[in-house]
Parts: sequence; structure tokens; C-alpha cells
Amino acid sequence: MEHLIETIGRNMFAIFGVMALCGAAFMVASRSAVHSVLGFLFAMLCIAGCFLSLEAEFLGMAQILVYAGGIVVLFLFVVMLVEMSKKTEKEVFQLQSRYAVLVVLAGAAVFVGVFRKVIFGAASPDALVLRPELAKGLNVAQQNAQAVSRGLFADYLLPFEILSVILLVALVGAVVLAKTERV
Amino acid sequence: MVSLNAVLLVSFLLFSIGVIGVLIRRNALVILMCVELMLNAANLNFIAFARHSGSVSGQSFALLVMGFAAAEVAVGLALVVALYRKRDTVQVDDINLLKG
Repeated sequence: MEHLIETIGRNMFAIFGVMALCGAAFMVASRSAVHSVLGFLFAMLCIAGCFLSLEAEFLGMAQILVYAGGIVVLFLFVVMLVEMSKKTEKEVFQLQSRYAVLVVLAGAAVFVGVFRKVIFGAASPDALVLRPELAKGLNVAQQNAQAVSRGLFADYLLPFEILSVILLVALVGAVVLAKTERV
Repeated sequence: MVSLNAVLLVSFLLFSIGVIGVLIRRNALVILMCVELMLNAANLNFIAFARHSGSVSGQSFALLVMGFAAAEVAVGLALVVALYRKRDTVQVDDINLLKG
């Protein structure tokens, strides 16, 4: 039993990754938009699990709050608002689906061909082994949220401020676009 | 310790599923969700490289990307609602005003 728990803990990223892929595939393949939103929610939660297993605790929590708490609810609202159409259900997939899938598969083949050795070869050596001086930086930043905020507010303050302006513009733009009566 | 290659593979597959969804679906809402999925695949790469380079700059940038995705969803959904009011549809095939 302990052995099983240990194995699961070691392979947490693989488990969450496969589950996220399944959720994403369900999202693309399902006919109903509500089912698509549920697949999207599942994929986002599993990606949050991937973040946690990559030791990005703050981002994992932020992912759950932003996506599962905000964006999925927004999507569900719009689906309920829009999908009540009386019109008959049209075709779900595009006419060019076959060619689109072929093109993406060709791109995937090119990717695998280029990165074959990297993906299927021996595991790359740990960066901390190659450059032990990096471990010092990790030890200083024991707490993840503290380290992330230091990067955000010290090193990347300008992008952060620009993002706040973008959010304000998006807020105003969304209100203007969705408003019914013209003034 | 998760190997970098595994993360790259998962994020590549997620991105591919997102591209396929954008290309083959007709519903504008599902297309928006697929764009979100692609942004998340990029975030996963950011975090993997941050983990493996021993610096948290990648995580800071992933947080910025997350905020940007939220802004994009707000505007995108407002556009979908406005479109539905005007044309009574969210199927991208029915929106052919530019077609001669």
C-alpha cells in the first residue's frame, strides 16, 4: 500500500498530464457546448495539478481560482445565453476537418522528427547538477509565492503595469460590446 | 523530479489539441476555449523551464499570461454575445459578411 502511494506520488505529473489530455480531447470532440465547457473545466483542474507537481504552488492555486472560479463560469453563462436557439442543430465540425487534422499531424510528425532524441532519448541531466550555483537561488526563495511576487514586482514591474492597463481596456471594451441600447 | 521532456511532450500535445479544435469546430465558444487551452500549454512550458533553470522568472511570466488570458476571454465572450444579438448565431460558418 505504501509502495503504491509512493509510486503515485512520483508519477503525479504523468497522471495529471494524461487526465488533462483526456479532458481536452473530450472538449474538442463533444457535440454539446455544455459538455465542452465541462471538459475544459476538467482539463484546467488537471493542468493546475501539473503546476503543483512542478512545484509552482502559487500558480496552481491561481489557476484554480482564475479558470475554475472565473473563466469557466463566464463560459457557462454565455453558453446558457446563446445556445437556447430554436434553430436546428447544424454540423458540428468544419468541412475542412480532414485536411486540418492531417496538417496538424504533419506538424506533429515534424516536431517529433526534430526533437526525437530529446523526447525519447536519455533524460537530460538535471540543471542543478550541471550548475550547482543555481541551487543557492532556490534555497533563498523557500516560499513560492514570495519568490514569484519578487519576480513580478521587482524584475518585471513594467509588464505587470502594462497588463493592468490591458485589463482595464478589456473591461471597458467588454462592457461597450455587450451593451444593448445605443447611446 | 519531473523530467523536462515529459512536460514538453504533454504541453506539445495540449497545444496540438487546441490547434485541431480551432481548425475543425464551428462553434465560436468552443474555439475560444481551444485558444485558452493553447495559452495554458504555453504556461506549462514556462513553468517547466522555470523549474529546470532554477529561477522563478518563468512563473512570474506565467502569471502575466494568465491575466492576459482573462482579458482575452472577457473581450471574446462580449464579441460572441454582440454577434449573437446581431446575427442570431454563434456558428462561425454563418458569419460571412466579408464574402463577396
